[in-house]
Amino acid sequence: MHSKAMQGVAVAVAFALAVVVAACGSSSSNNKSASTPSGKPGAGKPAVTIGDKNFTEQFILGQLYAQALRAKGFTVNVKNDIGSSELIDKALTSGQINGYPEYSGIVLTAIAHDNKSYPSPQATYDAVKKFENGRGYGVLNMTPFNDVDALAVKPAYAKQHNLAQVPDLKAVGRFALGAPPEFKTRFTGLVGMKQVYGITNVSFKPLAIGLQYKALDAGQIQAADVFTTDGQLQRGSYTILKDPKNIFGFQNVVPIFSQKTIAAEGPAFSQVLNAVSAKLTIPAMQQMNAAVDLDKNNPAEVAQKFLQANNLL
Amino acid sequence: MIASIAHGLVAAQTVIPKFGHADDCVRQNRTFCWGWFSDHWDDVFQPALIDHIKLTLIAVVIGFAISIVCAIFAYERGWFERPFSVFAGVLYTIPSLALFQLLVPITGLTELTVEVALVSYTLLILFRNTLTGLREVPEDAREAARGMGLTAHQMLWRVEVPLAVPAIIAGVRVATVTVISLATVAAFVVDEGLGAPIFAALQSSFNTEFIAAGALAVLLALLADALLVGVQRVVTPWTRAGGTR
Amino acid sequence: MNDFVNAFKFMGNNLDLLLNKTVEHLELSGAAIGVALAIALPIGLWLGHRHRGSFVAINAANVGRALPSLAIIAIGLGILGIGFINVMFALVVLAVPPILTNAYLGVDQVDRDTVSAAEGMGMRPSQVFTRVELPISLPLVFAGIRTSAVYVVATATLAAIAGGGGLGDIIVNQASYKLAGVIAAAIWVAVLALLVDAAFGLLQRAVTPRGLRRAAAMSGAPPPDEGAAAPLVAGRPVPGAEVN
Repeated sequence: MHSKAMQGVAVAVAFALAVVVAACGSSSSNNKSASTPSGKPGAGKPAVTIGDKNFTEQFILGQLYAQALRAKGFTVNVKNDIGSSELIDKALTSGQINGYPEYSGIVLTAIAHDNKSYPSPQATYDAVKKFENGRGYGVLNMTPFNDVDALAVKPAYAKQHNLAQVPDLKAVGRFALGAPPEFKTRFTGLVGMKQVYGITNVSFKPLAIGLQYKALDAGQIQAADVFTTDGQLQRGSYTILKDPKNIFGFQNVVPIFSQKTIAAEGPAFSQVLNAVSAKLTIPAMQQMNAAVDLDKNNPAEVAQKFLQANNLL
Repeated sequence: MIASIAHGLVAAQTVIPKFGHADDCVRQNRTFCWGWFSDHWDDVFQPALIDHIKLTLIAVVIGFAISIVCAIFAYERGWFERPFSVFAGVLYTIPSLALFQLLVPITGLTELTVEVALVSYTLLILFRNTLTGLREVPEDAREAARGMGLTAHQMLWRVEVPLAVPAIIAGVRVATVTVISLATVAAFVVDEGLGAPIFAALQSSFNTEFIAAGALAVLLALLADALLVGVQRVVTPWTRAGGTR
Repeated sequence: MNDFVNAFKFMGNNLDLLLNKTVEHLELSGAAIGVALAIALPIGLWLGHRHRGSFVAINAANVGRALPSLAIIAIGLGILGIGFINVMFALVVLAVPPILTNAYLGVDQVDRDTVSAAEGMGMRPSQVFTRVELPISLPLVFAGIRTSAVYVVATATLAAIAGGGGLGDIIVNQASYKLAGVIAAAIWVAVLALLVDAAFGLLQRAVTPRGLRRAAAMSGAPPPDEGAAAPLVAGRPVPGAEVN
């Protein structure tokens, strides 16, 4: 009886192990890199790990860069959905990823802790380049599009309180603002709103990126932190409040990679990335975001279609 | 100014292709769109499910191996029980999110981090159940074994461990179900498992994806639980009569 | 190691934040437990009194324990949307099973002889319930409530992902609060769970009729107040608590 019991247990364990082995063999994931066809500029170069942050536009950007590189023979792994700037920067500096697409202004405010106001995208970019070079990282060309934080309210609410600009919120009584948690401590967030506009009547409600639209629609919050290229903005009715003093900064996307990686991968690496970046306009990004957020397409598919249409694959 | 014009010229060349247009159900974000779910079974849900099972099995098998060794050791050297229980208990009490974040600086954004955390959560229940099971072996069984001339080692493996199997399997059952639950949170660290579609769905509050991923996790857990109940019954038919053991 | 020291510094510097979040956490947990009690207690007690529905009642705890908490929160997000009430409903789903099962078992397992004796003394069924079955069942009933409470407090940490607030808000926001803050909040949640466990333990002892406590001690039966993660032995469904 007991040996039978032991047999039963042994069978169960063996079965379990078999499933594990089978699963290991069959698991497919975006992390796997394509094989390198010979004759392409990327063939033989060391593998690169690109990270992306925790929202749709970043998932798309990660795929755009990764797929374009793979088409030229590079070996690329993607670490998807890592987290906000503060976290993904740690992944970068600790070597877990070789690079990722970041927003120029955020590099300065959230990572370099530089809250100076820069007058233009180019000025912002130059400051970023200086900072990153100083710590061993290179920056590639910035994209034409920028994606800035913005405060959105429902049109009815804007009408009711005569809201056209962010500072107008001072006159409203206490209001609830929904935003990702890091908004609370960033200059491109509550800190800047308080220091520059003197807005202190905020009841902060931390929400994962994406949930703020639902909360705004349901009336649980009166203002939401949104991104200007969000797909949802095309669809729903939201009023974006202007940011006259530009606390949210200029936010063009800048691929940041360690200088070692850039050197090791050769000149074609930077060329490919720059070629992709050059194509990314605001309408392009908005449509791709909408394709994922509204039509629920796969970011990888959306990226692939875009690259094909622009002869980058 | 000129830079922006130049940018504009380059931008004029950008081609924006047509992307798949979703049906009404998805665009309205209705509660559950079966069409979307079945369309994306292959690229979203099946890989997530398989990864989830893989993560769970590895954690339970490793946790089991560690716990049974430690429990037998504690059974033979009584002093070991306290420190190991405290150690496993502390690990168990740490909220999963926090444990993942504590491990990331050490083991990175990798499956290793996830597995270390998941294994940690299995230790307490598997250790306790195995030890209790061993201790509750009836004294008569041991006496009979001694009477038959078995050595301590033989007695352990031929009598005590087999009699402890019901308790051990009960522990494996709780541990497995716990790991399946916590593996959903693992998507915080690594883009795998059924938690990944849940976190992705947060982007657009996509109801179908929330419900589908959530339901799959629930079904997986219930299935695993039922399977292990079955194993429990097969291995210990004497408890089927609903005895007090 | 540095971060552990910093965690305590964080606690010192951010006491008001932590206290605020703790209050939020307890509000959410308390609401969920309250609703769960209102639903599960009457049903469980009644089923036990009538000795009906044992399959459902006993397996409720097993099924409930198997439910992955994040998955239930996700389903709640899908069906009900975000917000306090919606996350609370998800927690209620998780809180009900241990209360239901233990309420059922507590009343169902009251010694039949005792019940017959009471009936023999002329008590009506409702009196049998209130004067005999209920007091005797209290230890087990409270064990279920205690298990459920600890589980809810621990799981409420995840609620932060769905906008539920509480100490989880700090734990998911490593970006702003750094690892030191995450560790500090984690310690607070763990301590909170232990305090809730201890509080219910005291409550349990307070309501256990003294006679029962003495009887349990003398017979050597396992004390009725089994704490968190009690081992599950085949055939004896003692619900364990999980910390999420």
